[in-house]
Amino acid sequence: MKSFFAGIVRTLSPGISLVLGLGIISAVIVALLPLQPRGGIEIWLGDGNHANLYRALAPEWNRRHPDLPLTVSLISGPALQSRMLSGFYSGTPLPDLIEVERGQIGQVFAGPLQDVGFVDLTDLLARDGLAHEMDSASYSPWTSRGRIFGLPRGAHPVMLAYRSDLVEAAGIDVKQIETWDDYFRLMRPLLQDLDGDGYIDRYPLTISLTNASFSEIFLIQGGGGYFDGMGNPLLNSDANVRIVARLATWYAGPGRVIGDINMYTGAGLRLLREGYAVAIPSADWYVGNLPVTLPSLAGKIKLMPLPAWERGGRRTSANGGTMIGVTKASKHPEIAWELAKFLYFSPVIARQLYDLTHIVSPVKSTWGASYYDRPEPYFCGQPVGRLLQQAIPDIPPRPSSPYLSSAVQLVNSVITQLMAITDRQGYVRPEQAAGDARRLLDEAQHTLLDQIHRNVFQAQAIP
Amino acid sequence: MSSRRPHPAWAPWLFLAPFLLFFAAFGAWPLVRSFMLAFEQTFGPRTTVYVGTLNFRFLLHDPLFWAAVRNTAVFTIGTLVVQVPVALALALLLNRPDLRGRALFRLIFFSPTIVGSIFVGVIFSLLLEKRSGLVNTVLHAAFHSWNPDFPWVDGFVMPSLLIASLWLSVGFNMSYLLAALQNVPGDQLDAAAIDGANAWQRFRHVTLPAIQPVIGILVLLTVVGALQLFDLPFILYADSFGNGPNNAALSIVTYLYQTGFRSGDLGYASAIGWILTIILVLIALGYRWLTREEDAAA
Repeated sequence: MKSFFAGIVRTLSPGISLVLGLGIISAVIVALLPLQPRGGIEIWLGDGNHANLYRALAPEWNRRHPDLPLTVSLISGPALQSRMLSGFYSGTPLPDLIEVERGQIGQVFAGPLQDVGFVDLTDLLARDGLAHEMDSASYSPWTSRGRIFGLPRGAHPVMLAYRSDLVEAAGIDVKQIETWDDYFRLMRPLLQDLDGDGYIDRYPLTISLTNASFSEIFLIQGGGGYFDGMGNPLLNSDANVRIVARLATWYAGPGRVIGDINMYTGAGLRLLREGYAVAIPSADWYVGNLPVTLPSLAGKIKLMPLPAWERGGRRTSANGGTMIGVTKASKHPEIAWELAKFLYFSPVIARQLYDLTHIVSPVKSTWGASYYDRPEPYFCGQPVGRLLQQAIPDIPPRPSSPYLSSAVQLVNSVITQLMAITDRQGYVRPEQAAGDARRLLDEAQHTLLDQIHRNVFQAQAIP
Repeated sequence: MSSRRPHPAWAPWLFLAPFLLFFAAFGAWPLVRSFMLAFEQTFGPRTTVYVGTLNFRFLLHDPLFWAAVRNTAVFTIGTLVVQVPVALALALLLNRPDLRGRALFRLIFFSPTIVGSIFVGVIFSLLLEKRSGLVNTVLHAAFHSWNPDFPWVDGFVMPSLLIASLWLSVGFNMSYLLAALQNVPGDQLDAAAIDGANAWQRFRHVTLPAIQPVIGILVLLTVVGALQLFDLPFILYADSFGNGPNNAALSIVTYLYQTGFRSGDLGYASAIGWILTIILVLIALGYRWLTREEDAAA
């Protein structure tokens, strides 16, 4: 060893030896520095509005728990997902609680149930008598194989936001609309070529079919969907066949009545403003965005329930969502659970969240609050909160699965293929497209089952 | 005359040690681990099950994987057929001594390469937007019969990707070819001209053989780059996580990303990665075989 160091000193110049020595010493010092122990309770989340609300409540929490002060860390969506999964997979540091969006949760449920990185809340909810305090459908995205792993932040009912100025100018009474058939029949005058160039410039309904969330809005509203409550895929269900065939004939062929824009982009918002779109399906959070992103439409937009697929059918759907979960890495899981309840069952936060975002709480005891009855000038004086709240009990469940993104891609692919067939064959009625819809959805179901059966962790649950 | 002490035998290893350590930690070990992963099913590194060749066998029957292979192959061939000839044409144009403002044109053609693929993806998604995009707006203004809802991005997936890719990379390829053209011996061109060769014959028999090694390298770089297609479709078809309508934009790397980082199936993603590696190695070997005579002459 002595000759080794002597050799280094002899081989290297004094300057390089000095730099090398300093490097080694500083590396050793850094390695020996004690890590700052993370104190208190920490939440990671990706939504700035939520972060501000929780930070405002931190003093109250800290007064109750001076030994476990609250730290709220706002992290961008992709970084949050990477850090969360790294923590679950490899044991890298995690906070006590994480707020996760729906698109980020599937992967968390991909492995064996006992390896899910969040604490199973099913028994805690029952123990604390909270199992029925929230709208039951709101739990479904955060449930895997019958176990609940998160509390839902919002209920996220979907309504139809429509340009009341255009609809009323055309003399259309939306009260006469119950079904989608009624809707397109009554709204027909608004399918317009405004400049006489032979191309439609205004559609009664506008959705982006390449955006995965739209197909789900329609599928679950009509009794279809991607999975049942135990994660079994249902892509080729009768309801899905019926709805997909209908969507294709709405969107393609000689009877096209739907415009295609992505309403989450600046270009999409511009087209909404310019009247290309008469109506768009809007979840509570999107309704809250409208006054901010399209202030010039103040007094020109109203909400109405989604038309049903058949008379007496469901008049709403669900879209988006966030949950909070207690991580298994938490050193204080009971306190973290207490904090989760404090933030998610609090009537104060429910009100502040509604004021800020129009997200309506799934907590039933908040539904009678008077702020939901407030008339809103932007929406022509409608009590938007009450309209959204009244839709909550009718929200369909949205079962989760690690294969949700695959299922969504497969169904979207079916819709795209069916649209091409509809264009080619000139289908006008859904019955004409139903045979092709069945065949394509059968293929999609087969592909998805193959993927699921390959997963040895999931296969036990899927017959 | 200065006297130098002999270095001890371990001295080179001392200097190589940092690289070797980093390479072992961040190069060799991940390679070995990913090879092992390809034979496992995983839920993170801690929950793994050995599944033998299941991942590779499943790949053979996975319609999404084959759609990704087909799309990637079409994109690679399209890129090759379009990009190298266009780059060569631009290089020939800029190589004309009588052309004014050559430096400015070089900058203009090269500038998309500087901004990067993400930016290009965003620009093209705005340009090719259905109703409000610049391309449809201009075409509809110029030709009233042009459909303002013309579905560039949704209806013409591969052409959209090829055009965006051409805009992104043609300047890079052009700069290589321009450098090669400037090294073509002028006396040979003069001699050919004196012997009566016309412009095409001078290009075919003097210029082209002289720049052939550079074209070969560009073909290899273009093919390897095209096979790793990811960022352009990921931005242009962000709504569908890079799949595009009916999976028409799904590339091998996008599928690898989706299986590994969206579905969490790292084992299957590793199997896809190794298949892509084998394809790339075969192409590189094919290139070496095709250019063996030139290498021997050099």
